[in-house]
Amino acid sequence: MSLAPPRASTAEVTDSMLRRTADRVAPQSDGKLRDLLADCVYQERKRFAAMKRPFSDPDQAEQQSVERAARALRGNRNDVEDAIFSLVRRYTHEVHNEFSDRTYGFATRLLPGMLTRLLTATGPMELLSGDFDPTARLRIEGPIERIHQLARNHTLVLAPTHLSNLDSPLLGFGIYKAGLPPFIYGAGLNLFSNPAMAFFMSRLGAYTVDRRKKHKLYKTVLKDYSVDAIGRGRHSLFFPGGTRSRSGEVEPSVKKGLLGTAIAAWQEGLRHERPRPEVLVVPCTLSYALVLEADTLIEDALKDSGKSRFIITDDEFSEPRTIARFARRVLDLDASVLVRFGQPLDLLGNPVDDEGRSLDVDGTAIDRREYVCDRQGKVVADPQRDRIYTQRLADRIVQAWHSDNVPLSTHIAAFAAWHQLREARRELDTWQVVFLRDNERLVPRKKVLAAIDRLLAAIDEAAQAGRISPALLPDGPSKAEAVLDHAIDRFSRFHREPAIADARDQGARAVSISPRVCLYYANRLEHYGFEQAARGTTNTPKGSAS
Amino acid sequence: MIIGVIGSGPWGRALATLAAEAGNQPRIGYRGKPPRGFRGTPNLGALSREVELMLVAVPPKEVRECIRAARPGPGNRVVIACRGLEPRTGNWLSSVITEESRCVRVGALTGPALAAEVIARRPSAMVAASAFDEVATMTQSALHSPICRVYTTSDLRGVELAAAMVRVLAVAVGMADGLQLGVGVHGVVVTRGLAEARRLGKALGAHDTTFAGLAGVGDLVACGNHPEHPGYSVGQRLARTQGADPAMAAEAAALVGLAERHGVDLPLTRAIAAIAAGKLEPRLAIDMLMRREATAE
Repeated sequence: MSLAPPRASTAEVTDSMLRRTADRVAPQSDGKLRDLLADCVYQERKRFAAMKRPFSDPDQAEQQSVERAARALRGNRNDVEDAIFSLVRRYTHEVHNEFSDRTYGFATRLLPGMLTRLLTATGPMELLSGDFDPTARLRIEGPIERIHQLARNHTLVLAPTHLSNLDSPLLGFGIYKAGLPPFIYGAGLNLFSNPAMAFFMSRLGAYTVDRRKKHKLYKTVLKDYSVDAIGRGRHSLFFPGGTRSRSGEVEPSVKKGLLGTAIAAWQEGLRHERPRPEVLVVPCTLSYALVLEADTLIEDALKDSGKSRFIITDDEFSEPRTIARFARRVLDLDASVLVRFGQPLDLLGNPVDDEGRSLDVDGTAIDRREYVCDRQGKVVADPQRDRIYTQRLADRIVQAWHSDNVPLSTHIAAFAAWHQLREARRELDTWQVVFLRDNERLVPRKKVLAAIDRLLAAIDEAAQAGRISPALLPDGPSKAEAVLDHAIDRFSRFHREPAIADARDQGARAVSISPRVCLYYANRLEHYGFEQAARGTTNTPKGSAS
Repeated sequence: MIIGVIGSGPWGRALATLAAEAGNQPRIGYRGKPPRGFRGTPNLGALSREVELMLVAVPPKEVRECIRAARPGPGNRVVIACRGLEPRTGNWLSSVITEESRCVRVGALTGPALAAEVIARRPSAMVAASAFDEVATMTQSALHSPICRVYTTSDLRGVELAAAMVRVLAVAVGMADGLQLGVGVHGVVVTRGLAEARRLGKALGAHDTTFAGLAGVGDLVACGNHPEHPGYSVGQRLARTQGADPAMAAEAAALVGLAERHGVDLPLTRAIAAIAAGKLEPRLAIDMLMRREATAE
């Protein structure tokens, strides 16, 4: 059996989406339908009012369709329904990228070179040249063979952590390098603003998500599209966190919208007795030694403006030369990016065996269909139950992310240094520490080294208990020295203000800390209770919310 | 509907009586002697496979062992029908089910219904709680009859907490009666004890109204002056003998520990834990509680 997903034309997908919409619309009252359309018109008009003029042709066409919908609101129920169907058709065309096995095969053969050039080039034409390969150092771990086997008879949903806009291409490469089948994924329109990225992503199964559209109808189309694609057996990739982690931490919670579509698709498959209805989830943890957008993201987290600036369009990722600099200086280093695929789970978050059967606590197989079927084997619809199942799955994914998280030298050193700085300025809260002046950010090197030693011991203990993965440490005579020197070297390669640097006028006796960037990398080890080890005391400094 | 009841003690038999009264067929899972008057099986695993809904009516410390033996699966709904936290771990009993099995659809059942009264077919009422509406309504269908009204709620956490707190607060009521402190103390325990439950419930995300309902005030009022209630009888014995009750001390300590983890103070529960552990003399405890700083209600 081919591991590649079955093909579906735009017409087939559109038909299916319209059928789903018809099923949803039929039982709704007139008032509810009008509310749905009115919400769309209101939100879209607001969006257009805030956009720069003149509009591009596609935007102009979109605005006209919204105005047609506004006119329909003055008509009868048929007019309202027609307007909804028309919008669904339009959105489906926008979202759907016709996936082709042939194009995918072509793209994946060229993939290593393409990705290299994507990361180093400034435009599609420059993709044709280049001679260095940052992706050779990408480290991929996890039960790859098992996932490969399971992909033969199950549709997989890959659920990675999300740190950077480079996640999608690097994961695409990781999937290819691991020999796994292609995954489709929803990529924000803003990512297509980078021409090289757009060229690459459209050939690797990315479908388009316009995050500027906030209304319910569009979100419903996206969810239906996902249910439809999974139902057709397309392996899908979601970032359950929804957006890049602003603070740098492993996401402590996730959005449940798209995860819920996996559960819906599974039940739909069972209900229609499809040949391959089973869906499994593969959590995936990405660890970067350095993150391209760290400066902007932590700034955003500190301003607590993550929500209002949900789509950051002016970060490092929109500067092709910055990406190129990042690729040359960082990605060519050993273990600069680590992709760890986790153990596959069923849609209730239970572990599965090599055949994909869900396992009981004692390791015996159980029939997971009983979660959604009655005693006669008929699927019972229960949206409230499904919401709880989705929450449970979300919790299990977060748990897997945390236990699969691999601490790298930059995270360990930053965590130790940040907490030593906090300890040295106990009278200040987190926000005051962030605004310390240059000469106030020095910490004795030996204190940081001692903190790293304690932290490594705490990480070891947590790793033995399965709460985190063992740290990936550089070689060196003294572990703490090696970790700190390695991290300082890494930090010096890219960030304008390195998170930690040797203090120039203090010889080797102190390190200088850039609190914001340091906090960003330190946050990777949040939620494990390592603070006491890093501080070396049992008391908590003021406002230790970091 | 065939209803599984794990536990053949008085409360297990009372639940089986209610299930039969509601037109269902109870099956009792037992260890030791078979129950009289009801069909039963010593094979809890077989019971899980036979029924969709199982009610667990064994003491909290035995719940884990029973779930391991029954091993309910994805198709089962399991409802905890006993009060308290797991004494050894301080865990919610509904969580013990999900820890020990792949059963996800869990619930809790509590309220002012005492085994002897139910078996004597006197009117009573209970509340069935679950995050899953279908579990709460299935429990309602299993037990609701002219002799017992069963209400539903989605506040599983609140109902489990109220049940655990009532069990411990009943000790204070029993102790007050044992020491002949008068009926005023009943009112104090009911109101101030449930105020503690509400404070902790708030920290845990429970609904405030749950503590004013059957699981809270209803149950605590019913247990007052009723020697059959386990908490009440322990309280009377402690007042009489000045001894200790390690099992009750562990249950109360589990609640105090839970509250401390959430930054909530439970002075009355803490005093009961100390008395049950034999570390505090009941009259001294009352004196200490009465001398606490005056405050607003």
